[in-house]
Amino acid sequence: MTDRVALLPSGFRDRLPPAAEAASALTRTLVDGFAARGYERVSPPLVEHEAGLASWLGKPLGGALFRTTDPTTGEGLALRPDITGQVARIAATRLAAAPRPLRLAYAGPVLRGRAGQLSPERELTQTGAELIGTDDVAALAELITTAVEALTAAGVSGLSVDLTTPDLVAELAAVPWPVSDLPGLLAALDGKDWGLLEIRERAPYRALLEAAGEAANALPLLAKIAPDLSARLAALAALLPGVRITIDPTERHGFEYHSWCAFSLFGHVNGQPLRAEIGRGGAYRVRHPDGTEERAAGVSLYVDMLVDAGLGASARRRIFLPEGTLTETGAQLRADGWATVQALSPDDSAEGCSHVWNGREAVAKG
Amino acid sequence: MQQLVIALPKGRILKEALPLLREAGIHPEAALFDEDSRALRFATNRPDVSVIRVRSFDVATFVAFGAAQIGIVGNDVLAEFDYSELYSPVDLGIGRCRLSVAEPLGTPPITSESHVRVATKYPHLTKLHFAGQGIQAECVKLNGAMELAPLLGLAPRIVDLVSTGKTLKENGLVEREVILEVTSRLIVNRAAFKTMPEVARLVDAFRAVLGRAAA
Repeated sequence: MTDRVALLPSGFRDRLPPAAEAASALTRTLVDGFAARGYERVSPPLVEHEAGLASWLGKPLGGALFRTTDPTTGEGLALRPDITGQVARIAATRLAAAPRPLRLAYAGPVLRGRAGQLSPERELTQTGAELIGTDDVAALAELITTAVEALTAAGVSGLSVDLTTPDLVAELAAVPWPVSDLPGLLAALDGKDWGLLEIRERAPYRALLEAAGEAANALPLLAKIAPDLSARLAALAALLPGVRITIDPTERHGFEYHSWCAFSLFGHVNGQPLRAEIGRGGAYRVRHPDGTEERAAGVSLYVDMLVDAGLGASARRRIFLPEGTLTETGAQLRADGWATVQALSPDDSAEGCSHVWNGREAVAKG
Repeated sequence: MQQLVIALPKGRILKEALPLLREAGIHPEAALFDEDSRALRFATNRPDVSVIRVRSFDVATFVAFGAAQIGIVGNDVLAEFDYSELYSPVDLGIGRCRLSVAEPLGTPPITSESHVRVATKYPHLTKLHFAGQGIQAECVKLNGAMELAPLLGLAPRIVDLVSTGKTLKENGLVEREVILEVTSRLIVNRAAFKTMPEVARLVDAFRAVLGRAAA
C-alpha cells in the first residue's frame, strides 16, 4: 500500500455507519439513565489550562497529555484526559454555592497522550455521573445502581461489581503491619504477586489477597483485618440486590485518588463476557481553592467498549423512494419511524435500503 | 458453560508444570507433551477447560488480552511486559533460574561509561537495570543464542536467563550481576478473575497444592 493519505495518527479512528450512530445512541441512553436519577448535564470544554487540570482531584495526570500553547497568551494548555476533574472544578467554583449533594452528569471525548498496553485508542468517549458533597454507603449505592440501570438499558447483562478499598493498605502499613517499602508493597499487591509477598514484613498482607473474591466469602475474611470497613462494604452490598458483588481489598489499578471505596464494573454482551471493565468509580475528595476538601463520589462508563461489542445498533428501517414519489408519502413514512432515501436521479439505486416503496406500500427487498 | 483456556509455555516448564496441573485436577491430553505434535490447542479431562501451548512471552500476552484466562509463565516475562491486567496469585516454585548480566571473562568493570550496548530478549528490564546505575543501555533485541553476541562482536554483554551457568561457561562468559530471581507463576486475567468463579476456584486449587507441598 503506497496510499497513505487515509492514514490517521495512531490511536485515532473514523467511526462509520452504523458504529457512529451506535456511539451516539449509547451515549444518549447512558446519560438518560443518569438524568432519570436527577443527575444534570454539564459540558466542560475540551481544552483547559494544564496547570489547572490536575489540581481539583489531586489525580496524577501521568505526564502523557496532549499539550499545546495558547497562541494568544503563550500559556500551557492541555486536552482533557478525563472529565471527572473538570466536574470537580465546576463543583468547587461555579457551583460552589449550589445545594449539596450536587448531582452532575457528563459525556464527551477525552484524549490520552499514550495508548494503553491493551488498547491503542487515544481518543475515547467518557460518560459519567458525579455526586458531590457525600461519599457514604448510600451515595455509592445510588451511583452503582444508577450505572447498572444505565448499562442494562444499553444492553449489557450479567453485570458484576468489584468493590475495592484504596485507602486500606496505606492504613494497615501505618499501624499494625509496618513496611519499609510502601510503593513496592502496593505494586506487589496490585499484581496479586504472591511471590513478592514472601518477605517477612509483607507476609501479613497475604491475608488481603485471600480476602478477594465473592462478597459472601471475602467479607468475613476482611472482617478479621478491618472490621469497620468490612461492615460498611457489607452494608453497601446489601443495597445492591440482583448484582454479583466481588471484593478486592488490594486493587489500586488507577484508583490512586479514590479513598475508602472504589469499584469496577464488568458485564456480558450477548452472553459473552466483555474482556475488560466497562466502567469504574468510587469515593474521592474535591479540592477547593481555599484548601478544604469536600467528599464526593462518581462513576465513569466507557462508551467505546459497548460500541465495539456491537450494542446501540439503530433499529430504524431504511426505505428507498423512487423518483416521483409524493412528498406527502415520504413525510408520512418518516412520521411512522422510517428513514427515507429519496432517489435524486433515475440512476439512483436502493442499495443500503431494507425496503422499497412501490407506489402503494413498503416492500421488503429480497 | 463458559470455556476456560489455560496457556502453557513450550519446553522445560511444561514438564515441570504437569504434576501441579494434575494435582489441581487438570489432566491434559497426551498430545500436549508430544513436541512433534502440530496441534496448538489441546483438550483436558474437563469439557470446560482447554490448554494452549505457546512461547513463554506469548503466554503473558494471551492472558493479558483475555484470550486465555489462566497461564503459567516466569516472573521475568511478567516484569518485562509489566501488563496491568495480569495477576500472579501463586508462585509455583518451578522453572527456578535468574535473569543476569553476563560478559566475557576478563571484561573490565563499567566505571565511567554513560552508555553500554547489551544483547538481550529483555530490553525493558535491561534498560531499567542499567538506568538504576545511571547508565543508558542500548539494547540489541535477540530471540535466542544470546551467547553469540559477545563472541562475534555484536554486543560486549548480554542479559539472559541463567540456571546452571553451563552454557555461559562453554562460551567463555561469566555471570556479572543478578537482575531478577525467577520462578514460574500462575497468572490470571484481571477481568476473568473477577467475573468467572471457576478461575478463582482454580487459583485456590493451585494454592492448596502448593500449600500441601510446603507443609
